[in-house]
Amino acid sequence: MKPSERLVQRLKDQQEKPIPRWVFKARNTALWAGFAMATLLGGLAFSVVLFAIQQSDFNMLSHMSHSRMERFLAMLPILWLGFLAVFLVLAMYSVQYAPKGYKLTWVRLGGYSAGLSFVVGTLFFIAGGAQQLEGAFAVRVTLYESIQQKKIDLWSMPDEGYLSGEIIETGLTSLRLRDFTGKVWTITHQGAVVPPVVLMERGEAIKLIGTRMTEDAFRAEEIRPWGGRGGPGTKRRDRPG
Amino acid sequence: MLFSLKKCKEWTDQELVRRSLADVTYFSCLYERYEDSLLRYIQRLGLRDIQEARDVLQNAFVKAWKYLNTFDDRMKLSSWLYRIVHNEAISCLRKKATSTKRQQWAYAGHTEEDPEEWEKSDKWKSLEELDEHIHVVLDQLSLKYKDVLVLKFLENRSYEEISDILKIPEGTVATRINRAKKAFRKIAQGDELLLS
Repeated sequence: MKPSERLVQRLKDQQEKPIPRWVFKARNTALWAGFAMATLLGGLAFSVVLFAIQQSDFNMLSHMSHSRMERFLAMLPILWLGFLAVFLVLAMYSVQYAPKGYKLTWVRLGGYSAGLSFVVGTLFFIAGGAQQLEGAFAVRVTLYESIQQKKIDLWSMPDEGYLSGEIIETGLTSLRLRDFTGKVWTITHQGAVVPPVVLMERGEAIKLIGTRMTEDAFRAEEIRPWGGRGGPGTKRRDRPG
Repeated sequence: MLFSLKKCKEWTDQELVRRSLADVTYFSCLYERYEDSLLRYIQRLGLRDIQEARDVLQNAFVKAWKYLNTFDDRMKLSSWLYRIVHNEAISCLRKKATSTKRQQWAYAGHTEEDPEEWEKSDKWKSLEELDEHIHVVLDQLSLKYKDVLVLKFLENRSYEEISDILKIPEGTVATRINRAKKAFRKIAQGDELLLS
């Protein structure tokens, strides 16, 4: 018996049937869906990383005391960077095992996956979703402390010269501020550096760098918007309250 | 009833795949079409025993039959079959778990000497066929280098085909061939094998 005949006979005897096409189609669909999902989730993780960066004051790093440095480092979005890395790897694996996925090198796979996640993440961040996502995560995951909370901790050290809160009353050279614990402070800000983005209006959240004068009085040398760094800044002299 | 070789030649690979899915008998045409080249490939990969090579080929074709619906006709059927045969042969080689040194020793027909002693001696130089010399050197290469050299220079496959067979990017194929050539040259020079 010729080998080809033996093969056909064997297939007939074993009643081997080819695996149906739909099985492979389903597998491929699952792989692409996995890629899309991993890219999307990677994008969300990246948006929170962007949010954390926005909330950080990297330019103050060299002036920080040890305790403040610790708090600053705690703000680094290690968890979200970890999520981003995991989802990038998952996305790469999904494509690698999809038909013709082997044609792409790992560098290209990584580049495409990261690129897509960065685009999705940036759009989500611009749309304001990152803060909500991070906040919701903090509410649902007990062990997780939100970036916002870490930031509040970082900016609630009046003895070290850092204070933050919401303006409740404005004046020509001073203002009243309610910090995030509810305590009301009198702030003098004559000669302080204030970037144009700070409007000095009631209800506005701000961060202050300066010196604690008394139990509830603080002299500000620099005022920053709560949301970010706020740009270069100018010496504030006579801005109306 | 199976088809004659002449009849099989009337159909393209793609037609045969379609027909095989409807009637397994047509699958014999594919087997006969690629039997010789695939057997030669299996032997070049290191399974020199013809019966062993035939078993590997049969098993590979059973797998090909099982996965016939995954065949993408934008790809050459030969590349797809080479891939399956390659995987089956490698799996068989690994199962055998025979050391490269012992394989080349056995290949050279030695039965009584210790392979390490044989390696140190000049006896292997008496091998007459350059092809045999090449296989002795190939067997000393790591599998990933041996794979690409066999496919490129003994099977005359293009970079694209090698990429499809080994499921690696074409750029990696090119890099691997370059490195494999260097490794081959180094071993060949060490063994005083003259290469053109």
